[in-house]
Amino acid sequence: MSGITLLLNTAKGALMAQQLAMDVVSHNVANVNTPDYSRQVANLQAMRPAAYEGMTIGRGVDVTSVQRNSDAFIENTLQQRQSDLSATSEEELYLKVLEGIFNENSGRSLTGQMADFWNAWNDVANNPSGDAERSALFERGALLCQAFRDISADIDQVHRELNLSLDAGVGTINEITGKIADLNEQIVAMSVTGDANDLLDQRQHLVNQLSEYLDISYYVNPDNTMTVTTGKGNVLVSKAESYSLSFDGNAVNWESSGGGDVDITDTIAGGKMGGWLEMRDTILPEYNDKLNLLSSSLIWEVNNIHAQGVGLEGMTDVTGSYGAANPGAALQSSGLDFQDRITNGGFTFWVYDPAGNVVDLGGSNGSLQVTVDPTTTTVNSLQSTLNGVAGGNITASVTTDGKLEIHGASGYSFAFSNDTSGALSALGLNTFFDGGDAVSMSMNSALAANKNLIAAGHVGAAGEMAAGDNSNALDMAGLQYQDAAGLNDTLDNYLASLEGSIGIKSQSITRTREYNDVILSKLKETRNNISAVSLDEEMTDLIKFQHAYAAAAKLISTADEMYQTLLEVK
Amino acid sequence: MRVTNQSTYEAIKYHLAQRAEDLVKANEIVASGKRINNLSDDPTGLVQVLSLRESLANIDQLGRNVSTARNWLDGGETALSSVKDLITDMKTLAVQMANGTVGASERAAAAAQVEGALEQIVSLGNSQVNGQYIFAGTKTDTKPFEIVRDGSGNPTGVTYSGNDTPFTIKIGKNTTLEAGHDGEAVFGNGSPGGIFQALIDFKNFLEANNVAGIEQAMDDLDTDLDHMISTTSAIGTKGVRLDVKEKILEDLKLTYTERRSQLEDADILAAISDVQSRETAYQAALASSAKVMSMSLVDYL
Repeated sequence: MSGITLLLNTAKGALMAQQLAMDVVSHNVANVNTPDYSRQVANLQAMRPAAYEGMTIGRGVDVTSVQRNSDAFIENTLQQRQSDLSATSEEELYLKVLEGIFNENSGRSLTGQMADFWNAWNDVANNPSGDAERSALFERGALLCQAFRDISADIDQVHRELNLSLDAGVGTINEITGKIADLNEQIVAMSVTGDANDLLDQRQHLVNQLSEYLDISYYVNPDNTMTVTTGKGNVLVSKAESYSLSFDGNAVNWESSGGGDVDITDTIAGGKMGGWLEMRDTILPEYNDKLNLLSSSLIWEVNNIHAQGVGLEGMTDVTGSYGAANPGAALQSSGLDFQDRITNGGFTFWVYDPAGNVVDLGGSNGSLQVTVDPTTTTVNSLQSTLNGVAGGNITASVTTDGKLEIHGASGYSFAFSNDTSGALSALGLNTFFDGGDAVSMSMNSALAANKNLIAAGHVGAAGEMAAGDNSNALDMAGLQYQDAAGLNDTLDNYLASLEGSIGIKSQSITRTREYNDVILSKLKETRNNISAVSLDEEMTDLIKFQHAYAAAAKLISTADEMYQTLLEVK
Repeated sequence: MRVTNQSTYEAIKYHLAQRAEDLVKANEIVASGKRINNLSDDPTGLVQVLSLRESLANIDQLGRNVSTARNWLDGGETALSSVKDLITDMKTLAVQMANGTVGASERAAAAAQVEGALEQIVSLGNSQVNGQYIFAGTKTDTKPFEIVRDGSGNPTGVTYSGNDTPFTIKIGKNTTLEAGHDGEAVFGNGSPGGIFQALIDFKNFLEANNVAGIEQAMDDLDTDLDHMISTTSAIGTKGVRLDVKEKILEDLKLTYTERRSQLEDADILAAISDVQSRETAYQAALASSAKVMSMSLVDYL
């Protein structure tokens, strides 16, 4: 076969090939802004030549395939980095929230509240019988409790938001894995008839989205389906099947192919889910624990000093603020909030008659010395020790919630001194704060009712009290300079280093995020330089193919002229 | 290298965001006047700042404690210097009355004057600062001195209802100062039985026209005056201690405030020039980005 027919055939093939190439160019131009789109190229190839009279003559051009410019290695690295970046971005975001909760430049600065609290004790020491000073101290104490509770509630709020995010995240993951499974099916079907370029791009885009939520790994099988697993190997997508995750309010579960749920919470290390879980299970509890340790230490230290003292008057009615779950058990295992801090020792109990004179209870100067041994003494035994003293004018009982209650008959009052055992503060008798941690910290309700019970002084050796005795308030004012139990530091310093450690954590996460950001943007640039569309390039190609198309058209008109010439020969 | 539209846009977005963030940060420093606005801006510096803030709050409180202590000491000093004047008057009176030329009726008349002085000194012993008795130990709500009189109204003694623990005020981390007084030690020491007994005896001797007794009273008053002078000067010494403490607190406050400011406050000049340089960088980035983005072969075809 040769001659004009060959020319016409070649020209027709060329027209079709250039047009197809232009179609590919237009597809590229149209998708210039499509995320994760890979530029496509029409592969042009010279057609197999034909033999003609001992010669081989070319037969024109053919489009063998439309190829997608994509680098599997870059795509995979990009996906892993995306996972790291998403995790650190979320951690950074939530740490900024945590920083805001502890913000020291705002009116609720905890450091400022602590300073105000110590200063209020100084003011009471300067004027121990002053109503104004006592009320101010009470308010400062209440504000401090409020500040601890607010911070605690805010941290809890973050915890709840993280759970909501995790729930939503699981939903998104399931949606994405479902779509990947669908695409797997379509790609297999399409690969039979042609190139599944655009579907491959869509699948890669979904994988990239998935890695924003989870650390995953994936591989493409010979049949072009993609298998996706979590970082630790739990299969999420295999061929046309997807295996969903579920969130039960606490743990992330993976529905295995066998049908049973597997808890994979601890194996998720990347993506937003990884960041949220790290925040929820590691970072947040660390600072929450520190805050609780600080508040329980503050409660204990303040109560322990307060319980040693006496206010402007004796007490007539007191109910312990801490209840023992088991009042019949030894104090150390009775279920009191601070049962571990009770030691061998004892306290002194004083009773005053309506005229204010010490009622003789038989001990030194009329006092009653009560011994406490945390391994044998019980709430019930303390109750029976105190019940009925002073000729029955003092009655003691244990409430249904295990609190020790002491009551003086009309006009009779009582006071405590020299508690070496910590039993009074553990029972919440004559204490300042109530509660055991940041969530529950509040003021002892007995003080709310009567500020005169704020213990600025001590009961003297003979049971006497003095309005100007500020010795206990001075002890309290000195507490701010002392190392607190369990903290190995002063309360103020512990607070400052707690806030400092949040700052350091946040700073280091921000640096990691910035690093991941730079790496990812470099990788994206590389990926885009390989796979994305350059309009200038496409325009150049368009002109290139347009010219070729015009030339091919010229071939046809030339063939036409040649036929005319032949037909005109007579 | 192949440059694509996506990578150009992404790069422009990334860099513009960086420039904008730089500018916002620099502006935050200028706007707040502080170098540390978030815990993470400088955690180590922040811990120091917090500790300095605590110390400063404590210094302010100690400063207030010192002025409360000064009120108490001043109250005591004023009362005791009046007491000193009264004792001196009584001594002068005793010298006059011991004179042989003075008659019994004049001595009897002088006795009333002595009783008046006794009442005044008791009343000075009951001095208050801010509603608190300063010569009652820690029983600051109890009137410490009361004159006991016999059936015909003659004073026979003065009772003390305070205690022997002086009221103390915290003036330093580990320092307290006795700002109030054990009234018994102030008024009861000196001559046997103290100033009150000395005056009651003096009055009785005057009424009894007992010259030898009056001379005895003169000696007792002398002893009591010496005791008052030494007590007053002890208060003065405490006042000096307060002066020193006040000075130390002021110096500390200055040092801590400066240190805190160095750590926390922005160097405004540097911060403003930071803002300007970052603004310039941002504007340059905007201008060049706008040019790069608008370039396309399409415009030339």
